[in-house]
Amino acid sequence: MADKEATVYIVDVGRSMGECRNGRSVTDLEWAMQYVWDRITGTVATGRKTAMMGVIGLRTDETSNELEDDVHFSHIAVLSNLKQFLMPDIRKLEDELKPSKTDKGDAISAIILAIQMIITHCKKLKYRRKIVLVTNGQGRMSDEDLGEIVKKVKEDNIELVVMGIDFDDPEYGYKEEDKDPHKAENETLLRTLVEDCDGVYGTFEQAVAELDIPRVKSVRSVASFKGYLQLGNPEEYDSALRIPVERYYRTYPAKPPTASSFVLRSEPEAGQEEAESSEAAAATQKGSQSGDAGLTTVRTMRTYQVEDKSAPGGKIDIERDELAKGYEYGRTAVHISETDENITILDTFAGLELMGFIQTDQYQRYMHMSNTNIIIAQRANDKAALALSSFIHALFELECYAVARLVVKENKPPVIVLLAPSIEPEYECLLEVQLPFAEDVRTYRFPPLDKVITVSGKVVTQHRNLPSDDLLDVMGKYVNSMELVDADEDGDPVETFPIDDSYSPVLHRIDAAIRARAIHPDQPIPPPSERLTKFSHPREDLIEKSQKHLEKLIEIADVKKVPPKAKGRKRTRETEKPLSGLDVDALLHHEKRVKISPNNAIPEFKQTLAQAENIEAIKDATKQMMVIVEDQIKHSLGNANYDRVIEALGTMRDELVSYEEPASYNDFLGQLKDKLLQEKLGGDRQELWWLVRRNKLGLVTQRESDQSRVTDTEAKEVSLTKMKE
Amino acid sequence: MADEDQYRGDDQIDEEEEETDESGYKTVKDAVLFAIEVSDSMLTPRPSSDSKKPAEESPTTAALKCAYYLMQQRIISNPRDMIGVLLYGTQASKFYDEDENSRGDLSYPHCYLFTDLDVPSAQEVKNLRALAQDGDESKDVLKASGERVSMANVLFCANQIFTSKAPNFLSRRLFIVTDNDDPHGDNKSLRSASTVRAKDLYDLGVTIELFPISRPGHEFDTARFYDDIIYKASPSDPDAPAYLQTDSKASPATGDGISLLNTLLSNINSRSVPRRAQFSNIPLELGPNLKISVSGYLLFKRQAPARNSFIWLGGEQPQIVKGVTTQIADDTARTIEKWEIKKAYKFGGDQVAFTPEEMKSLRNFGDPVIRIIGFKPLSALPFWANIKHPSFIYPSEEDFVGSTRVFSALHQTLLRDKKAALVWFIARKNASPVLGAMVAGEEKLDESGVQKFPPGMWIIPLPFADDVRQNPETTLHVAPEPLIDQMRYIVQQLQLPKASYDPFKYPNPSLQWHYRILQALALDEDLPEKPEDKTLPRYRQIDKRTGDYVLSWADELEKQYAKISAHGPKSTLVKRSAKDRTSEVEDAAQKPYKKVKVETDEQGVEDVVRAHYQKGSLSKLTVPVLKDFLNAHGRSAAGKKADLVERVEEYLEQK
Repeated sequence: MADKEATVYIVDVGRSMGECRNGRSVTDLEWAMQYVWDRITGTVATGRKTAMMGVIGLRTDETSNELEDDVHFSHIAVLSNLKQFLMPDIRKLEDELKPSKTDKGDAISAIILAIQMIITHCKKLKYRRKIVLVTNGQGRMSDEDLGEIVKKVKEDNIELVVMGIDFDDPEYGYKEEDKDPHKAENETLLRTLVEDCDGVYGTFEQAVAELDIPRVKSVRSVASFKGYLQLGNPEEYDSALRIPVERYYRTYPAKPPTASSFVLRSEPEAGQEEAESSEAAAATQKGSQSGDAGLTTVRTMRTYQVEDKSAPGGKIDIERDELAKGYEYGRTAVHISETDENITILDTFAGLELMGFIQTDQYQRYMHMSNTNIIIAQRANDKAALALSSFIHALFELECYAVARLVVKENKPPVIVLLAPSIEPEYECLLEVQLPFAEDVRTYRFPPLDKVITVSGKVVTQHRNLPSDDLLDVMGKYVNSMELVDADEDGDPVETFPIDDSYSPVLHRIDAAIRARAIHPDQPIPPPSERLTKFSHPREDLIEKSQKHLEKLIEIADVKKVPPKAKGRKRTRETEKPLSGLDVDALLHHEKRVKISPNNAIPEFKQTLAQAENIEAIKDATKQMMVIVEDQIKHSLGNANYDRVIEALGTMRDELVSYEEPASYNDFLGQLKDKLLQEKLGGDRQELWWLVRRNKLGLVTQRESDQSRVTDTEAKEVSLTKMKE
Repeated sequence: MADEDQYRGDDQIDEEEEETDESGYKTVKDAVLFAIEVSDSMLTPRPSSDSKKPAEESPTTAALKCAYYLMQQRIISNPRDMIGVLLYGTQASKFYDEDENSRGDLSYPHCYLFTDLDVPSAQEVKNLRALAQDGDESKDVLKASGERVSMANVLFCANQIFTSKAPNFLSRRLFIVTDNDDPHGDNKSLRSASTVRAKDLYDLGVTIELFPISRPGHEFDTARFYDDIIYKASPSDPDAPAYLQTDSKASPATGDGISLLNTLLSNINSRSVPRRAQFSNIPLELGPNLKISVSGYLLFKRQAPARNSFIWLGGEQPQIVKGVTTQIADDTARTIEKWEIKKAYKFGGDQVAFTPEEMKSLRNFGDPVIRIIGFKPLSALPFWANIKHPSFIYPSEEDFVGSTRVFSALHQTLLRDKKAALVWFIARKNASPVLGAMVAGEEKLDESGVQKFPPGMWIIPLPFADDVRQNPETTLHVAPEPLIDQMRYIVQQLQLPKASYDPFKYPNPSLQWHYRILQALALDEDLPEKPEDKTLPRYRQIDKRTGDYVLSWADELEKQYAKISAHGPKSTLVKRSAKDRTSEVEDAAQKPYKKVKVETDEQGVEDVVRAHYQKGSLSKLTVPVLKDFLNAHGRSAAGKKADLVERVEEYLEQK
């Protein structure tokens, strides 16, 4: 659990905050609020009830605080007491934080009030206390009782943060030219105060520049395994070795927040009476444009069915409580009664058991299957630490990894893990990653990349698919010139991948969008911050450095883009041949298949097209297919033949496009649709048309084929037109 | 639309993970039909060369065993895919409702459809096993016909089975197992009929894979007949680089039946899954204005048992229940159409809503691409920088002609210079961008020269800063040299074969057990008693090889610990008594509560618990002691005290 937090923001809203300064296009207040909103929404986003915030307005028109009778405390308004912030609080604050008409109000008094708020709220409980003051340093500040403030702040362990607009900050390297001497005085006052309180003093220049650095949530890890690293079986052998260890995540993918589904609340009357009718649906759709109010959650409802050939529709509904648990073995259902629930679970006992050792150079890094973990000795057990250290060092010295079988809890499935030593000056541990089992490896085979083996088994080393020596040479140079050299803060080169600097784009994009939308519901979502896409392109300097090698590489590589429309075409209408190179087409010619037979329709259709000498022949073949397809639909019991129909349609579409006869397909599809609409092909065939749409087998458009005159819109219309209800 | 589920394809469980469906209108499923020849020579048993195992195996039974094995394996790995077995050359004929007793002519004489092409049922698994293992039925079925069977007819029979049983499948494969390299000799008309039927299959999208078996004294020669039947490219994936090396390799002619089975098995195994791309033809951008195209494959993916499902017992046989999900509005319970749904995030106790277009744009970081950002030495990739399995990529000429040679040049360069590329990787439209390390992988062959791991590049997704956890605090005690020396001896004794990890040697024990039990239940057989678990360490060997080293390491540990420990060696709990010399490092005294509650400085938890067990007074022990004991033995320590006591008793009873 994270610590409880109490943070009071003091926001200067004086008249002078409404001005734009130093060439900025936004007012001081707007500028400051970028930072304040970022902090506040950042806290709200955690959803933590224990993260409390309060807001004090400084130099407000009105005065409202517990010491309001004291003139020193005038023009200070407590806008929000310490509490968990929710959306209504944000909206209220958004309304209230506007530049006032006065420049009166003392920042130091506001700090005193903030301290008071924290003391009242937190008492002596464990809290992380913090006060954040944002101001442009104009206006009067009293320097009385500063010592008392410092004492209080330190006593209560409050972190005091002062962020100033155009404050000088030599550390960051900012200095305002022609500074108003009064402001300079205030800056010095605040600076001294903050330094005395060991707080943080900064200038907005820096704060705003760093706003787009995504905040990485630190997660306190809990051990995912506490047990023994074992060598041998202690139950049977005296010589078994056991070291008590604990296991923690080293990496674990952070997930972006998940959205939930909502629909508009139904209008009370329309919803009850005509919810099903299409008019009501249209009305709700219209309603959605008028605002987001009245959302209701979406629930999922499950119904259960089994196939029953004798029942109408081929299925019968089953109630939830009539169901038993089981598994599928092939297409057989295997019932497992509740008492036997665990029968398929392998009996295992928790432990990290060493299986053997391998040489590091014999391991392929791509076999890493999972996130990684660390293994450390049981904490507060010095002997275990000593023992594990000897193991870590032995592995390191021998350049070995250990292979082990890990069961995290009794009866959990075992996994095989690889253990690597990690030795840093202040930290030693084992790194652990999961390895594949036999079933996890798919043996897809690919031809070698450094030679070509011909059909006859001859090995060729000069081939258009193999790089020439020139290409290899220039590739080597290019790779060298694109070497990433990163430097750390001291300018020393860093030899690691830039992990600390890379942020999950989706996670932070969504996070930023939610916060932006929360404060400004009416504005479009801002584009992703540059930090998130920092690694989406090579760095400019690198591109420049490697330019000449790249040009050479492009020239020698001689890569040619295939025009989109030529893709997948039968480029020369040359048909594929068997390994022997035998001309099967000649044989087919010889056979003279006059008519396409329904039981061998797809091959014969393709072959007829391949041999067609004129357009008529293609049209005729299409017509024959049409009869066959319609017949299949007509005789389909329910959806029995639908897959065959889809396959036939898909084949026809692909073939006719590549023979540049899309019109034949389009005509055919139009006719088919009419017949389906009129239920001429064995009754209701809505589902089939739905499948045609889903598989994108609609009209061939201009985009797909130059010979088509159908536009995207027309094609969409044809496929979308609803079937008769 | 209630039927939507049916067509959604069960494969797409995890959107981010699963291979994409770039197949257009085809269903992403695989159907394998075995066509096994039954002839006198195929039925002739080949004796075992190993005198200890006198098992005999004929080519036909070997092929059937392979089919049986593959059937079982696919139930686990590809539960939606189909498999069938067609025997040809048999005396008997069977094709759906036709057999010798039917009226009229047989459509496919001497073809015997033993297992129809489908997702196998338990009964079919059982029948196939019976046939492969010389059951009674096999005597009738496995009888060679005197008449010659027409290959054209066999191929057309397969055509009809695929057409009707596996319509619109992305992958359909015919596995022909035969020892006859020239079925039709000089008979021209039969030959040409066969080639025409083979072309039909090709045009239908069926790949023929030949598993040739050489006859004693005669090497199988594909040039005599099969080169006219088999095509270079796979019809379903014409751009896929064809792997030709092993395809022409025939199983050995030498008389050994077992090695025949093994070769056949490994051949079939390597082609058990059709190659499916994770993504196809996406640009690999080497630099501005230099793109080539590559396709990606998942060569490693964790295989888990299928989730349990609902079963209905009301019918004659248990039936799988299909769940249909409808979405309803919470207020009125009306059914909702997809377009009505809005997405919103919880924020500050309220909903922050986005339109569907906005939702899409939030995840959109551009078109699919693998873009090289720069190069780094391979050594800069830390061991721990990993979050999941990698993607394998291989060049394709589909979008850019010349891709292969450029890819090859990059591959060779990275291998030679031991470098990795840093890449910005978007696998498909709207997929989350990933920062990856692209490393070159060499081709790995097994002992018999068969490819184990292909040559190509691997994209290893790197963790983002958000995915990296901080190390928990510990106290550092660096082991002194003498202790490390002792440990080194131990490590040196236990190298795995070839000092490398071979995943093929370790089947997943819990996955296998799950399906073993299911199979036994489905086939109504006795449950197996003990699982085969290759992941269990070889305890006897470990003891034999390292026992003495471990004991001297433990002595050294005591010595070194005594030096750093303020209390001196008195707190030692490494029990070296004759009864139990387990070199435990566990140190009960180190933990204060144990010290107080156990009140036994000298004895460990172990001894206390055992003593109480003897006296039957386990319940007098405190919960932490019981938990420690159970934890120490890898037992679950969850539940109430009574459960713990029971579990301790259970454990000690076994001893």
